[in-house]
Amino acid sequence: MPEFQTARSDGHGQGIFSPPEIERQMRIEFERAQRHKYPIVCMLVRIDRLSLLQDLYGQESQAEILRAVIGLMRASTRDSDLLGWLPGDRLLALFPHSAPDVAAALARRVLAGARRLRFDRDGRTLGISLSIGVAHNQHEGDLSFDTLVQVAEEGLAVADAGGGDRFVETELYQLYEKRAKLEADRGRRAESFSGASAPAQTAPPRSPQERLLELLSEEGHSAEEFKGLDLDTVVRAIQSLREGSGAAGDGDLEEARRRIDILERRIAKLTRILGVTEEELQRVAAMKGIDLGIASVYRTVQGLAADAAYRERKQEMMKVIFQANVTLQHRTRPGGGPRASGK
Amino acid sequence: MSKSSADSEPKEQAEGQDAKKVHGVLYLGIDLGTSRTSVSASNGMRETVASYVGYPKDVVSRKLLKKEVLFGDEAIHHRLSLNLFRPLAHGVINAVDTAQGEANLKAARDLIGEIIRRSQPRKDELVYAVIGAPAQASIKNKEAILKAARESVDSVMLCSEPFSVAYGLDMLDDVLVIDIGAGTTDLCRMHGTMPEDADQITITFAGDFVDDEIMKELKRTCPGAQFTKEMVKAIKEKHSTVMDKIEPIVVELPVEGKPMAFDITEVIRGSCKKIIAPIVEGLGQLIATFDPEFQHRLKNRVLLAGGGSQIKGLDLAFEAEMKKRLGEGRVIRIEEPIYGGANGALKIAHDMPEEYWEKLK
Repeated sequence: MPEFQTARSDGHGQGIFSPPEIERQMRIEFERAQRHKYPIVCMLVRIDRLSLLQDLYGQESQAEILRAVIGLMRASTRDSDLLGWLPGDRLLALFPHSAPDVAAALARRVLAGARRLRFDRDGRTLGISLSIGVAHNQHEGDLSFDTLVQVAEEGLAVADAGGGDRFVETELYQLYEKRAKLEADRGRRAESFSGASAPAQTAPPRSPQERLLELLSEEGHSAEEFKGLDLDTVVRAIQSLREGSGAAGDGDLEEARRRIDILERRIAKLTRILGVTEEELQRVAAMKGIDLGIASVYRTVQGLAADAAYRERKQEMMKVIFQANVTLQHRTRPGGGPRASGK
Repeated sequence: MSKSSADSEPKEQAEGQDAKKVHGVLYLGIDLGTSRTSVSASNGMRETVASYVGYPKDVVSRKLLKKEVLFGDEAIHHRLSLNLFRPLAHGVINAVDTAQGEANLKAARDLIGEIIRRSQPRKDELVYAVIGAPAQASIKNKEAILKAARESVDSVMLCSEPFSVAYGLDMLDDVLVIDIGAGTTDLCRMHGTMPEDADQITITFAGDFVDDEIMKELKRTCPGAQFTKEMVKAIKEKHSTVMDKIEPIVVELPVEGKPMAFDITEVIRGSCKKIIAPIVEGLGQLIATFDPEFQHRLKNRVLLAGGGSQIKGLDLAFEAEMKKRLGEGRVIRIEEPIYGGANGALKIAHDMPEEYWEKLK
């Protein structure tokens, strides 16, 4: 079986890429894959409860287990694949020209291989398991290398939190991509702000009157409105208000992102549970011979087609029918009228 | 969405599929008629059921029938053991403010539930329905229909029956629709916009009227013959015609328990013809009050729909009567008299924007 590409020896003595090397190699490979539009898969692997094993059986045991897992991964892959280690005893692998379904099969193979590994310590036989996060570049929409790695990291975290011995692909590519873009925008804004203020540092100090006039014109006021007030105090007050609102905005944004993240995860979890429940219901229905019905040809609400005959007239007619029904519903519902819509 | 692999591969695959699943939207177009209730659904189902609902009279009949409620022909067949309801006599839910009205409302609710069940919706799909109501149904009756429907669907709208027929055929400009049902005949003038009250006329010269006329004539011309309303309805549905040259219509009716043959050709033809004049009179009213410039076009675009349109030769008879009274007329019989209204309602349901459905939930 061919082996992983290797670089110089590292701390693990396994001849695999060190963190900076693997990152550099992977970035190059990622860029190439994006340019030539071929699939690549990123896999992040961690041995479950490795630190616990180290506490119980010593550093030597940990090193032996790591060596065995690296050996296992080498045996399971091609020589064109890249393997490196990351801090926290994690292994990072990149598989060029590998489709997502291949990644799933590979992850399963590695998991099964790890389950078969046995280590003898103090007269006891130890078994291990792995947690694996998987990501690929075949997702729709923009994708950066950082997002690829983040999705793999998130998958690893979910696999670990789920008790390990599994691989997870979170599919939150677009969320991370948006987040990365937001971060980049913020960085650019901060840069342009410091860039704009830089000449001011070198410019001769301005008088409070000049600063006030500038600030007031930005706010849409004239100096006349503040006649009689201490100019320096007004300047400071405006600046302090601006800084305060900026900080609050950042805080709100962060909080909103955190909430979105939580909600995304919750939706994913509920969808999964719902799917399992429905599957079970279908199984029971099939067992009992219950008719499950015939699926509609439509997956979403349709509405008038763009090229429908008499489109505008029909739109008007739909509106009239709707309004007549709203009036009718007002009469029939005790609360009066249609429910408040989320739309 | 997460895909995870623990131990079993099939489970993981199933999870992957579930992650991609999108629940569908089932549209229903329902023609809630006096005689028949029909549904056309966006899953390809088309069903029609006679608008009869029966509840077992007592414990014995319930045990015998093994059902709490029976519908359509089955209900008619077992009517002696049932409290039989025809909840939509005259095209509307009857006597909504009385005890009988409450029973009718329950029957209508069960009937709508049944027709929706027959369209075989999936449990995981949203059901959006448009129900055709008689053109001039009272607000109270529309409310009753709406109330009856709301229990079975996620969102529901009512629309005028003749309008839905024309909409289904994309005939929105200068068209006259004749929708002959059992309880009522709806006449509707389409002129490119939503028809208003002045554009619609509802009259009771319809299927039930013809049944009554046939019964009267049978009593007069076939002395001693025994028959019920259901028997007369069945004879009408099989033999109804207004054509002058036809084979004799001979039916067997019991006389003191013995089947006897009766020639009822004139009874059937004469009774069926009685609806022509009042309907053409209604058409005349709609034409006379229309823009004179477009009256010619209107007279030559008359759509004939509804179960009553199946009377043989009716389109030609209307044309002859229109020529006599209005100078000219061209009548087009729609291809699917039973499903014309339901198909149109289905099309309206399909074309309705999402936010409207959402707001009426």
